[in-house]
Amino acid sequence: MNLDWLDAFLVFGLFEVVMVIGLALLLHLQLGLARIANFGVVGFWGLGMYAFGVSYVRVDWPFGEPWQFLVCALIATGVAALAGLLVGWYVADLDTDGVLVGTLGFATAVAILATTQQELTGGALGMGGLGFPYDIGTVKANEFLWLVITTLLVAAILFFVWRVHRSPYGRLLIAVGANEPLARSLGKSTFRAKIGLFVVTSAAMGLLGAMFGVMVRFLDVLNLGVDITLAAIVGLVLGGTARVWGAVIGVVLTVGLFDIVVQVYLPLPREWHTQAIPVLREALFGLALIVVLLFRPLGVLGKMRRDRLMKKVHGR
Amino acid sequence: MDLVVQAVVIGLTENAPLVLAAIGFYLLYRLTGLINVAYAETVTLGAYFGMWANTTFGLDFYAVLLPAGVLAGLVSVATYLLVFRPAKRRNVGMLELIIISFGLSIFLRHALQFVFGYPVRFFDVPPPDTIMVLGVGVASFRLLALASVAILALLLYWFIQRSSFGLKIRALASDESLAQASGIRPLAVAVLIWFIAGLAGGLAGAFFGVGSSVAPLLGWRLFLPILLIVLVGRAWGLGGVITVGVATGVALAGATLQFGQGLYAQLLLILILLAILKIRARRLAAAGGVAA
Repeated sequence: MNLDWLDAFLVFGLFEVVMVIGLALLLHLQLGLARIANFGVVGFWGLGMYAFGVSYVRVDWPFGEPWQFLVCALIATGVAALAGLLVGWYVADLDTDGVLVGTLGFATAVAILATTQQELTGGALGMGGLGFPYDIGTVKANEFLWLVITTLLVAAILFFVWRVHRSPYGRLLIAVGANEPLARSLGKSTFRAKIGLFVVTSAAMGLLGAMFGVMVRFLDVLNLGVDITLAAIVGLVLGGTARVWGAVIGVVLTVGLFDIVVQVYLPLPREWHTQAIPVLREALFGLALIVVLLFRPLGVLGKMRRDRLMKKVHGR
Repeated sequence: MDLVVQAVVIGLTENAPLVLAAIGFYLLYRLTGLINVAYAETVTLGAYFGMWANTTFGLDFYAVLLPAGVLAGLVSVATYLLVFRPAKRRNVGMLELIIISFGLSIFLRHALQFVFGYPVRFFDVPPPDTIMVLGVGVASFRLLALASVAILALLLYWFIQRSSFGLKIRALASDESLAQASGIRPLAVAVLIWFIAGLAGGLAGAFFGVGSSVAPLLGWRLFLPILLIVLVGRAWGLGGVITVGVATGVALAGATLQFGQGLYAQLLLILILLAILKIRARRLAAAGGVAA
């Protein structure tokens, strides 16, 4: 496959956009529907990434690719789901403060373990040895195919989230976000709904972490900072927390703008790309969060489609 | 026994600024009910302002404490007037307020790098003398830091719990409309409390900065311990926050000595404090309430 026309930075930039869209879609279920502010997205994503990396590199599997990838990805998803079960149980009966401290604490614990368990994770030195589950020629071709596979995965997440919106479970999550005591008084098990939500979304976040691990082929604890969580939150908030497509549009407008338009197409001095642009990116993301929530709290897309329908039906 | 003595001495001298930062955070939390994530950057900015005053004007460490604290306090007030007050007037919900404070934290953390530069910075201070306390060597400025923090903490405690202004602050935190009806001016009191909180955070940042380095993540790395100390200690008021803060500092030092690895100590402490919060929340829920 001749991919000379394709810039290697563009492939990676697109991969980041697609991956963050996936995370923002999952966060949409938590924050947009159930009003649970998960500030530890990077914890689940990072746990999946490291669970995949450790099982892929440190275990001597008796079979080759693609089974090795599939088994390790399954392990990563399972470990992240277990973490989701634990964190979901922890935060399910707590208020916003408790959710913040629980999810932040979890993300911090993952970062500490990734740093200290040097024999497993490589610690601060990082861990190499990961690879694609196929080889179709050049590195660029392999990366491009991985981008396509990840895009399909995120499309499946988008479909899942879209289906949840229209399901009884989705309506229960909306009820949990709007008035949890009322939902509980109507006999709904909000505790179980929240735990289920955390298990499923955390598992998918872990799988996305594993996909990222394959793409970069080197795991670095520096990836476990706040950047991933910020990118998912700012994309979702800008697009609109209440709408499925809010996550997609918001991430394209934020991560897409910086990681593709600025990084690939703007003719900026090379030294800017190492420090000034990443720092400016994060500063503007932070500023965007403040401005959007102050002046357009529902984001670009506005209210939930269901709210508009209700207004039309009931006239209020 | 040696371990206990060492943990107490090291914990008190090295982690005293953590208590100061927790007091500042608690004051804001008590007044607004808001978990202000951007408070982490107040701590960071205190370290940067102190380092800037020290390296630019050649002031010694103790002379830079005043500008570091005051400037951090002014930034804290500015964030209130420019961000949180307008947000409150627009009836922004508590969840959104926390996200706004998260955005503000990220913005300040990165914007300060355009002002102070990207590399890690250091205070330009002479190497401290080592003083033996109960057989444990302690840097002289850490002892002075402990004394300063103890005095400041007592002053703040007295100010909040005993002075008439402190009474106004507590009244405002309990019931704003009733406080207003009693002649308390909410804006003046709010500005004062944001300034005091910023001052405490800034001083804590300067104490931490002089002991290690001044970097954009300084405050963020302390934020989770500060938050946990306040959430666990708040049930017993300001005294509870100070007590939990001191206990946390000592436990952190003891666990670090035991494991030989500071990160394991942090992890253990985070887990213990999270467990306390969960147990308390379940007890409250069983009694009919909901809490963090």
